Amino acid sequence: MSVRTLLLALLILAAAPAIDAQGQPPDILISRQLATSEGLAVGSVVRLGTDAAGTGAREFRVAGIYEPTPDPSRLGAVPREVRLHLPDLLDLTRSPGTPAGTEYIAGINVALTNPADARAFSRDVNARMPGVVARPSSEAAGSAGPFRVLERFHLAIAVVTIVASTVFLLALTIMLVDERRETVGILRLIGLPVRRVLVQVLLEGLIVAGAGAAFGLVLAVLSEGLINAFFQWRYDTALVFVRITRDVALTSTAIAVPLGASATVVASWALLRRSGLRLARR
Amino acid sequence: MNAVGFAWRSLVRQPARATLGVLGVAAVGALLFDMLLLSQGLVVSMRDLLERSGWDIRVTAGELPGRGLRLGNAVSTAERIAALPSVRAALIVRLADARIEPGTGTPIVAAFQGVSGFSSAGAPITPPWTIIRGREASGAREVVIDGAIASAAKLQIGGTITLRASCVGDREALPPAQLHVVGIAEFPFAGTSEDAMGGSLEALKAACAGNVGDEADLLLVTSVKDANETAAAIRAALPDLRAMTNDEVVGRLQETGFSYFRQISTVLTTVTVAFAVLLITVLLTVSVNQRLGEIAALRALGFSRRRVIADVMSESALIVGSGGVLSLPLGLLLSSGLDRILKGMPGIPAELHFFVFDQRALAIHVGLLVATAVIAALYPMRIVSSLPIAATLRDEVIG
Repeated sequence: MSVRTLLLALLILAAAPAIDAQGQPPDILISRQLATSEGLAVGSVVRLGTDAAGTGAREFRVAGIYEPTPDPSRLGAVPREVRLHLPDLLDLTRSPGTPAGTEYIAGINVALTNPADARAFSRDVNARMPGVVARPSSEAAGSAGPFRVLERFHLAIAVVTIVASTVFLLALTIMLVDERRETVGILRLIGLPVRRVLVQVLLEGLIVAGAGAAFGLVLAVLSEGLINAFFQWRYDTALVFVRITRDVALTSTAIAVPLGASATVVASWALLRRSGLRLARR
Repeated sequence: MNAVGFAWRSLVRQPARATLGVLGVAAVGALLFDMLLLSQGLVVSMRDLLERSGWDIRVTAGELPGRGLRLGNAVSTAERIAALPSVRAALIVRLADARIEPGTGTPIVAAFQGVSGFSSAGAPITPPWTIIRGREASGAREVVIDGAIASAAKLQIGGTITLRASCVGDREALPPAQLHVVGIAEFPFAGTSEDAMGGSLEALKAACAGNVGDEADLLLVTSVKDANETAAAIRAALPDLRAMTNDEVVGRLQETGFSYFRQISTVLTTVTVAFAVLLITVLLTVSVNQRLGEIAALRALGFSRRRVIADVMSESALIVGSGGVLSLPLGLLLSSGLDRILKGMPGIPAELHFFVFDQRALAIHVGLLVATAVIAALYPMRIVSSLPIAATLRDEVIG
């Protein structure tokens, strides 16, 4: 079993050419970033030690290079990581006074046959093994995890943006409706009731808001790739920063279209309460 | 009547659209102001927090204080550092998890900071906390606690606290220790949802039943003169350790943890300014288009081209200026709410703020709003400057 661990203590001391299969050192995996920064390749042999002096350093062979799982809590830190087989790691890090087999491990990842059983399995482990805390992966970040906090922050920014947009939208629709005062006046004079004109205004508002929302979505989809590419380049990570999902698109449309249509109707309402003659006069 | 007065009357004549325009600018401006505060807020706040602590240099075994390895031979290392001519004092900081057992109720989990200082020529040594009430802890049986622990465990100065601390690993089963509370303190580097207590290294050893080892999470150092020179001297004397000045710690955090907020602030600032320019341009353009006849009449009456351009510019300046003034209190109000949200992140010190007011941010805010007013007015100004007077009057009258 291989385990991923933070090897802050481990230091790459030297890189040497690969050696024969006979007496070959144990295999390790290294992160892409570490391979790039140290110029390592598959087959390289490195020496790992637990301190800068290289005390007790041992040779390992790079068996592969991997892309680290993106971790938002370590954003900005270049992941220079090494993965060892657990027995190799314990042999390397065990202090002289510690008998083999009594070391600590930070955690055990469990893959269930049916992932839906995660909560029940956690409850079962917690009940049967006092002192061990089991949690489904989905709950591991807790309510105050960085993801959740950023989600709340972005939601707050979105609310402010919607408020600002609504205010501007109202100002614009008031001006646009005012511009069509004469047309509305004539429609009223030829006999169209207020309700009919209002329905027409509402339909126009819906079409304009729908077109605006569609344009916004296209813009968002186009900028999605640009934003992700920029931040992935900036932080040297595979983390996805922006993802336009179906739910996000539906939520945006569900807010934008009614908001736009309502703004049009609200702005028209004051105008439509006036008489046709008053509206149509020059 | 000058251009500003004329623009003011134009806006007052259409109160609904003028009010909405100003409110829109105020909302966008508030967001813009907050993004500018966010861009440098963490850095300003962190620098202030580090400098207030009174320690110039942080010596660690890992990359950042509290995030790496513990340094070994803590006492002799601190003594060696304190003996350097450029060092005034050095303080060992050892962190442990403590489980406080109140008489009734659930145990309180707190971070126990054990400290031990070394100084040259009797220089004063201040621990990394501030006493609010009571006095400083000394000896192996005294501690200070934060207000949250005091209220949760119903503890007062002079009371006794029962706790189990684990200095080495989570699975230690140590006997409970009883320590006397001699003060209530503020721990500036404790997280928002983290309770903290402090005492001498001996008190921490007592809490951990002596199972501490000669290790430190961090060494705090005060220099006699220049912090950079002292840090260099420490690095030369102890090449295995990292000695970072406050500026270097802030710089390191800027490159890593704080970078995301700077980037998001830049993106949102750009989007917000573009949004404001676009919308004010549309507002002014529609407004000007509706008044083409009026503007042509004014030109015919003798208003110069420059004067009508000045009117449009003044109108833009009045909308953006009024909205900009409103955006400052709105932005500060909004920033306190956003700050509360972001401080929910685990591990953020309670006294660290994401949004911090500074004059540079205000100056940039004003500069961006001025630029917005000018850029937004360009197109409508072009319309009025190239307006054919006779043709427009004829179209307006006949049309």
